[in-house]
Amino acid sequence: MDAFSILLPIAVASFFVGATLSVVDRRWAYGASLVGAALLVLVAIRVIVVGSVTGGGWSGPFGEPEGLSMDPLSAFFALAAGGVWIATSTYSIYYDDRPSPLLALTYAVTLGSIALLLTASSFLLFLVGWEAMTLGSFGMILQASGRPMRVFSAAFVFLAFGEASTLFVFLAVAGLRVASGTFAMVPVALSVPLAGFVFVSGLIGFGLKMGVAPFHMSEWLPIAHSSAPSNASAVLSSTLTLAGAYGLFRLISVLPTPPVWWGGVMLSIGAISALLGALFASVSEHSKGLPAYSTIENNGLILVALGVALVARSESLDVLYVFALFAAFYQALAHAVAKTALFLSAGYVEHATHTFDLNVVRGRAKDDAREAMIGAIVAPLSLAAAPPLAGFVSEWMILEALFQSFRFSPPAMQFVGLLAGAAVALAAGLVLVAMVKYIAFSTLWRPSAVEAGDRPPGLGTVLVALAGTIAAIGIAAPWILRFLTPSVSAFAHLPVTAPVSGLLLIPQGWSIVSGSPFGILSPPAVPIGLGVGALLGLVYYGMGRNRVTRRTVPWMAGSAPGVPGETYGSFGYSTGIRVMLRSVLRTREVRARSGPVTRAELLTPVAYNVELEVLDPFKVFYDALVRFATATSAAMKQGIMPGRIGRYLAYLLVATLVVVVYIALAV
Amino acid sequence: MMDPSVKTRIPSDGEPSRILAYWSPDDVVAVWNNLAKGGTEIERAPQSPGAAHLRAAWLGPPSAPRLRRVAPLEQVDGYGVFTFPYGPISMGVPEAGRFDVRTYGERVLDISPEVGFKARRILSSVAGLTIEDAALRIERLAGPFSAAHVSAFLAATESAAGRGISAREAWIRALAQELQRIYNHIHVVARVAEAASQNVGLAQAHALAEDVLRLMGSTFGHRWLFGAFLPGGPPTRLGPDDRVALAGTLGRLSKEFERLWSTFQTSRTFLDRIQTTCGVSREETLRWGAVGPTLRATGVAWDDRLRSPVPPYTDLFLPLATESSGDALGRVLVRVLEVRSSFLLLEQMLERWPASGSTQLPASEAIAPGRGVARVESPSGDLVYDVSVHDGRVGRVSARTASDANWPLFALGMRDAVFTDFHFAWESFGILFAETDR
Amino acid sequence: MIHVPSWLQLAWERGILTTKYPFEPARPEEVSPAGVGPVPTSPLDQLTDAPARCPTGAITLDAVDQGKCVRCARCLGAGFAFTGPVESSEARRGDLVWAGGRPGAQTNDGPLADLGRSIHVYLVDVGSCMACNLEVLALSNPYYDSQRLGIFFTNSPRHADVLVVVGVPTEEMVEPVRRAYEALPAPKAVIAVGACAIGGGVFAGNPGLKGALEQVIPVDRFVPGCPPPPVAILHAILATMGRSRTPPGGR
Repeated sequence: MDAFSILLPIAVASFFVGATLSVVDRRWAYGASLVGAALLVLVAIRVIVVGSVTGGGWSGPFGEPEGLSMDPLSAFFALAAGGVWIATSTYSIYYDDRPSPLLALTYAVTLGSIALLLTASSFLLFLVGWEAMTLGSFGMILQASGRPMRVFSAAFVFLAFGEASTLFVFLAVAGLRVASGTFAMVPVALSVPLAGFVFVSGLIGFGLKMGVAPFHMSEWLPIAHSSAPSNASAVLSSTLTLAGAYGLFRLISVLPTPPVWWGGVMLSIGAISALLGALFASVSEHSKGLPAYSTIENNGLILVALGVALVARSESLDVLYVFALFAAFYQALAHAVAKTALFLSAGYVEHATHTFDLNVVRGRAKDDAREAMIGAIVAPLSLAAAPPLAGFVSEWMILEALFQSFRFSPPAMQFVGLLAGAAVALAAGLVLVAMVKYIAFSTLWRPSAVEAGDRPPGLGTVLVALAGTIAAIGIAAPWILRFLTPSVSAFAHLPVTAPVSGLLLIPQGWSIVSGSPFGILSPPAVPIGLGVGALLGLVYYGMGRNRVTRRTVPWMAGSAPGVPGETYGSFGYSTGIRVMLRSVLRTREVRARSGPVTRAELLTPVAYNVELEVLDPFKVFYDALVRFATATSAAMKQGIMPGRIGRYLAYLLVATLVVVVYIALAV
Repeated sequence: MMDPSVKTRIPSDGEPSRILAYWSPDDVVAVWNNLAKGGTEIERAPQSPGAAHLRAAWLGPPSAPRLRRVAPLEQVDGYGVFTFPYGPISMGVPEAGRFDVRTYGERVLDISPEVGFKARRILSSVAGLTIEDAALRIERLAGPFSAAHVSAFLAATESAAGRGISAREAWIRALAQELQRIYNHIHVVARVAEAASQNVGLAQAHALAEDVLRLMGSTFGHRWLFGAFLPGGPPTRLGPDDRVALAGTLGRLSKEFERLWSTFQTSRTFLDRIQTTCGVSREETLRWGAVGPTLRATGVAWDDRLRSPVPPYTDLFLPLATESSGDALGRVLVRVLEVRSSFLLLEQMLERWPASGSTQLPASEAIAPGRGVARVESPSGDLVYDVSVHDGRVGRVSARTASDANWPLFALGMRDAVFTDFHFAWESFGILFAETDR
Repeated sequence: MIHVPSWLQLAWERGILTTKYPFEPARPEEVSPAGVGPVPTSPLDQLTDAPARCPTGAITLDAVDQGKCVRCARCLGAGFAFTGPVESSEARRGDLVWAGGRPGAQTNDGPLADLGRSIHVYLVDVGSCMACNLEVLALSNPYYDSQRLGIFFTNSPRHADVLVVVGVPTEEMVEPVRRAYEALPAPKAVIAVGACAIGGGVFAGNPGLKGALEQVIPVDRFVPGCPPPPVAILHAILATMGRSRTPPGGR
């Protein structure tokens, strides 16, 4: 037992200590979270480099050993989560200026729960962390600004999806327990039907938390609908979904060699999510709703990569299996960092302009906080897969993996691979639209008449650090992939080598190779090439003579430029997509008279109000479900239980809490 | 005094008595006088949002702001809705005028043309001039429609003076008008082809239009017919030999036009692009007082050459072209049919050219004071001039041009269209800012 | 069965229509009768009738101002003819005024000579009757085919080298045309096309009008006529490129 065995429980505990101290001062919670996150990162690096760490152990309620431990697989997720928590916690110290400590409290609880589930040595403790995470996040969403009913309804939707998620995860864990007689996270030999049951339950349970289709309501609604605080949004969107991904990875790593349909199902769900997320991101005007939809797209991409890996494993395509796994890991890492930066920049926009409406924000070109802008530009660029950033590398790897779906032997799988490839490519294009819109209308363009609000100091520094990280993850990809080899190895229960090689003049180890070899990319060469090109351009520019820069106003067909109300907004930017894809988006125009018809109206122009609405097809389903449930409940209430609904709700909440507390005490 | 035949032609939903475009010249004068005295004849028309427009089209805005919007139909607002300004300088509409497009992107919710950028104050500045000097300015009011404008203006002064003109003079005016109609209609076909990127068709139609311009130049001494009917204008060449040569050239141009159009008809991309684009209904054209091909493309058989005929149209066979679709294709088709009918009219005129007659106007002093109204069918539709004459000089001049009348129809047709429909729609109406900014 | 000709066949059968100008002098039908200016057939001071006939004051007893002439032809019966050597565009406003009724020396400075063989043109209407606009646009028809000479129309002044301005400048168009001039990248040139742009034409003196385009933006080339024929406009554009050859009228 070395020093790290002691650091691991300290890391997890510091979040909860911080949560308690938040009553004294909310900054304690964020400070303690910062410490916990840093310790977590430290332990994770040590685990990946040297090997697993076990810290603390006790006898659990079912006579099984429980405790905290970290193997290279959980270390990867702890590294990613801890890394972005360092950023969000530092940011929160400046961001959270509320009188109430509740946001800080729930923030620390959520982080601690995620840390707990990432370091749980058994599935039972994992479940405890999972449920605590849901409750903590529920608490965070309740701190959102906005009308109380709206906030509560959004938080309640989140809770409903969260509890459904727990239910399915519980089923998966129960299935494992039935077959193996243990909660331990070790490979289990399952019968084929039972393995299928566990896989499907796990996919639904973790998919609910990752917000993939058709459960994407759970992701965007709490963030976009209720305008959750920015630090909460960042945690919800990047690390909560990361926890879902961890659960899925962990579950699959203990299951036997999958039948081919597992991968096929995953691939399909992933591709649909990616396309749906990208599509709705491109038509979103909400400075947080747009990144939230982008999260759906990115988690879809993780599923796509994992799906390709599973099919490849079923087909014994070992090279593709390993490459797709690396792609999935890289996608998870790239998304966690970039999405955190994006939400923190959204918080910055909110602070600067007091609005979430991109159509109103219209950019902050005159803002003096240049360093904050760097983060707000680099993060969306990475999500739009612009070279040489992190998202570019992961997107390239995923597409390379999909290109190799021709290697699958069942024609149906080839077909699925082909369709998924088309969907992912289309999603990449739509995300580009979304991110260009985000960059332009949150940052680069001219502001409208929105009054600038207070700008908390320190936020810009965090964003610059994140931007640097995003660039580093992109440029140094070959080395990071090699660093992550133990984690992939721990997932696959195989010794693996990173898909890294050399090419022509590029030194050995500087390039990523898909297949054997299929495609090749050298992330470090991209900035070098760009730099050389820029240098040549500068030299040429320097050699020129008689350069006179003359500034004129924009050409607006002869009209005076800059007239309020005569410029494109972010809504107009993406209306093309709304109109072209109206059959998918269910676009409809709602026209209403602004006022009653008057006598004067017959001689003067008639005033109309026009709204162009889009509709998520799945929301129709959920709305119907809610109507059905509401109607049924009403009938039940009147017919069977003529009591007060509030009491029943309170009862349910208390019961859940009691169960959680019981398990925690029993542990 | 209402022409009963007119009344019966208008369907009941069009409120016949209120639609000035279809009134006889006498009725026009009556209403005009009423309006000028501050009467509210039109405003009582009601239930018709067109009333304010009609009033402005005939009398001008009450206190004449320099820039004004024509055809304001709606005030659209909503989330993401903004104004897309187009003009006053653009190559798509090579004229000084602006369009305010209300949109949430991509789709036109409302379009309101803004005029007045090129107001040259022509009609107010001709007061006190001799008829010839006034005509010199009026023919430069709208160059492509110069024959129609000068003919209407001169006819109004002649009507004011109660003076007739020689048959030959009337025939020369008609000949010039028909040539210019052919030029304008072919030009519209060329512009629509340009919008549809039909480059071969565009080049051929452009070449044909240039042929017509050169024919007008060689016949009347001016490519745009400026000065062609005025005493002391450029010499016209309409002697017997010239007429034979002219008939020969017209026959060749007519054949080439037929070939060109039959080739256009084989281009599905061209026809599909303009079909259903910027459609207006028969009810709308009637209610808003549309004129010309815009009106006839919705199935209303109205043409001043038939409804208020003057010589030589009284003696010539003129097939009336109508279509029923009301869209850009319908308007283009009407123009194509009218090119044919104009070629036919020209053929008849050259065959039956009046043997003699003076081409000289009597001196200005001979004209008695009075007031007259005249209307002619310009290439884009009904054109009305109201002129008073005192002491052999021009007094007050008012006009209602085809462009004035057709603005609201363009705005109506563009509603709910997409941006890319704009040029097809615009060119198919044949509206000129120059005709409104007079 | 009706034979439907294809586009290719149609284009082939019409043949080459394009003018030989500027490599050869323009033919008479290309310079329409009123496209060239009035030339006195006798010494000016003997034509005492002509100044009174001229509605725009272009003819005086000692000079003929081609820039003011609207080609109304009233002077044709008073010792003038629309024939003979006629200049079709000038770099200086003063060169359009023919002292004694005869043209002076042609000045030619070609402000855009550095641009080589290609030039982009942007058309601006500041108050025309549309005839000048159509004559400028006619340059792209097969008869004049300006593209063979490297002359292209653009959709934005930002991409243009030369502004072709038509019409008499109204007060409303002063700001817009200045913006267009500002938007042109340097080196740039402005061509005033038609009597209206040069000096107001028949509308000179109307209220609310600027008398001449020169009062609004600097002008590098003047093309007289009402409207000028396309070959004259072609000559003006070529002259701004320093590629002036024979003017359409010969000389």
